Amino acid sequence: MKTLRLALLAAGLALGVIAYRVQIHNLGPYTSPARSWAIVIGAWLFLVAGLVAWSRRPSNRLGPLMTAAGIALLLRQLRYSHDAFLFTVFFVVGELSYWIVAHAVFAYPSGRITDRLERALIKVGYTVTFLFTIAILLLYDGSRPLRFFDPTPRDSLISVGGSGNAAITVQKAFVIVVWGVLAVAAIVLLVRKLVLATPRARRILAPLLLAAITVGLRAVFESVFTFAERPSAILYEYLFWWQIAAFIALPLALLAGLLRARLARAGVGDLVLELERTPPQGIRDALSRALDDPTLEVLFWLPERNGFGDAAGRSAELPTDSNRTVTRLQHEGEPLAALVHDPSLLEEPKLVSAAGAAASLALENARLHAETRAQLEQVRESRVRIVETADEERRRIERDIHDGAQQRLVALAVQLRSAQRRLRDPEIDSLLAATVKELQVAVEELRELARGVHPAILTEDGLAAALESLVSRIPFPVDLDAPEGRLPAQVEATAYFVACEALANVVKHARASTATVRAVRRNGLLVVEVEDDGIGGAVAENGSGLRGLADRVEALGGRFRVESPAEGGTRIVGEIPCAS
Amino acid sequence: MVVFGPFLCDHSNMRRTALIVDDHAAFRASARTLLQDEGFQVVGEAEDGQSGLELARALDPDLVLLDVALPDLSGLEVATQLAGSRSKVVLVSSRRPDDFGARFRATPALGFISKDELSGAMLVQLLEESS
Repeated sequence: MKTLRLALLAAGLALGVIAYRVQIHNLGPYTSPARSWAIVIGAWLFLVAGLVAWSRRPSNRLGPLMTAAGIALLLRQLRYSHDAFLFTVFFVVGELSYWIVAHAVFAYPSGRITDRLERALIKVGYTVTFLFTIAILLLYDGSRPLRFFDPTPRDSLISVGGSGNAAITVQKAFVIVVWGVLAVAAIVLLVRKLVLATPRARRILAPLLLAAITVGLRAVFESVFTFAERPSAILYEYLFWWQIAAFIALPLALLAGLLRARLARAGVGDLVLELERTPPQGIRDALSRALDDPTLEVLFWLPERNGFGDAAGRSAELPTDSNRTVTRLQHEGEPLAALVHDPSLLEEPKLVSAAGAAASLALENARLHAETRAQLEQVRESRVRIVETADEERRRIERDIHDGAQQRLVALAVQLRSAQRRLRDPEIDSLLAATVKELQVAVEELRELARGVHPAILTEDGLAAALESLVSRIPFPVDLDAPEGRLPAQVEATAYFVACEALANVVKHARASTATVRAVRRNGLLVVEVEDDGIGGAVAENGSGLRGLADRVEALGGRFRVESPAEGGTRIVGEIPCAS
Repeated sequence: MVVFGPFLCDHSNMRRTALIVDDHAAFRASARTLLQDEGFQVVGEAEDGQSGLELARALDPDLVLLDVALPDLSGLEVATQLAGSRSKVVLVSSRRPDDFGARFRATPALGFISKDELSGAMLVQLLEESS
């Protein structure tokens, strides 16, 4: 294959020199060395770009197509020969060469035209051009120049003679149909391709397609002149260089595209180095840069969930719409991650798989991170559930005490008083009075117990009312500031128990004369502070009460701290997230 | 028309009527005995706030012995709704007043008696204080 390509390169270079000489010798004053070389150089660039593409991606048909376009463009110039055979053959080949170029443009970058309309246009272009050129050659009698193709008369090997008018009519029709209608169709399809492309694909396609549109516009311009006077010599000169510039831009745009892919693969090399010092959360950005796809998303396989999740461990679904493409990556036979990317990356599957392979260790590391985050998230959710369940259980116990034993004892006390009133026996009276007294003590104890388990006022009237009720039972003045309105039940309960436990500690240990209870909503948090002017020295780790409070607050994603210097005064702060 | 209220109630030929609103059957039974012993005629019992309200409006009792914690409406709410009526409302509960917070202090009820302390003497004292 390499030999073939080298042979084609050598043949193309030689052919270029021959094409140059054919033009200079046969077109006389209608050309110049600069114009002749410009045409040859344009064709050589196609050839070289084609051979480079061919050697870099042997399985892609784009390389051979571009090479063929380069060779055909060079051969095209041989039709200016006065030799009838060369003129006849290369007149046809020359006109077909433009369609090889169009074929390559539409096939870029995969080498295949997948769109039905585009494929139809290229087929029609080849067929119509071939038939028209054969018809022109059949009708052309060589008595005068071919109006739109050549300034001097040539000999057609297959001429059947006939009137010159018929040949002129067919030429006109050819210029209108092929250079006009089909060129406009090609421009429309190129614009459509640009519009429909994803942002990433558009960046890759734009230079080539814009150059191709410029070439197409030049053909349309030529077609329009079929109906008008030929333009002035100076305008014609501009038009010629316009065409040459666009023709040179085409292979350069293609080469640039190839170079870009090469740079991207070099980027994969950099990726390996970069990932060595990238923390797990930076992997997406590194991959996004290496693949030149800002929309890239990385999802990790979470075996426990039997599904994918994001870097934070949250479950995520793979997209199903056609605007996104998913490439699944594996590591040692196990699912690893999914890259959700721009569909245009499918045209560079090696790039994606190379980047995936380069990143696989880092991705595995990040996947484990995501898995840990997912497990942490589960633990966090389960802690919240435990707190909620415990609260619910406490509420139930409080209700059971209140509605059960307490009610029975109360009813009993009332009944005993009725009995006491009816009997009016001094001995039994004092006995019943003592019994009622005992019952009242039992009821009071139950009441305290129920209140400690879960105060009903908290459930019924909320935090402010519960705190007010709480501080009213403290034996020294307590300053209270609590928010009106309801908060989520577990937030209210946690805040209440922080205040309750802290005040109980103040009463038992602090030897304080005053205290302050403050509950304030701030930045999505409910901040509960209990401050006293006592002896200080409280430590969260020592008392299981404070430790339990810390656990409770942290279970809800909050923070708990005890500031209790030895010189006196204690401040207990619970910060509880409350979304509403 | 306040003039006629106490006058009618104290009429010697008429027994004072009472309604008991409480969701605990055992307490209602004990309270009935206690009220009857105090000379009240218990004209009805209700086990939730809504039916308590309806009975109070239909029977127009002199006294409504009303539990604070009811399964539907709170006793405090029932007391508020009965504020314009002739009936005197006495709240009872096995909880302490400070378990009910600020709402309790704003109640139009005649007074509050803790259930374990409830006796004929306390009721009579409350009613006499108000008349």
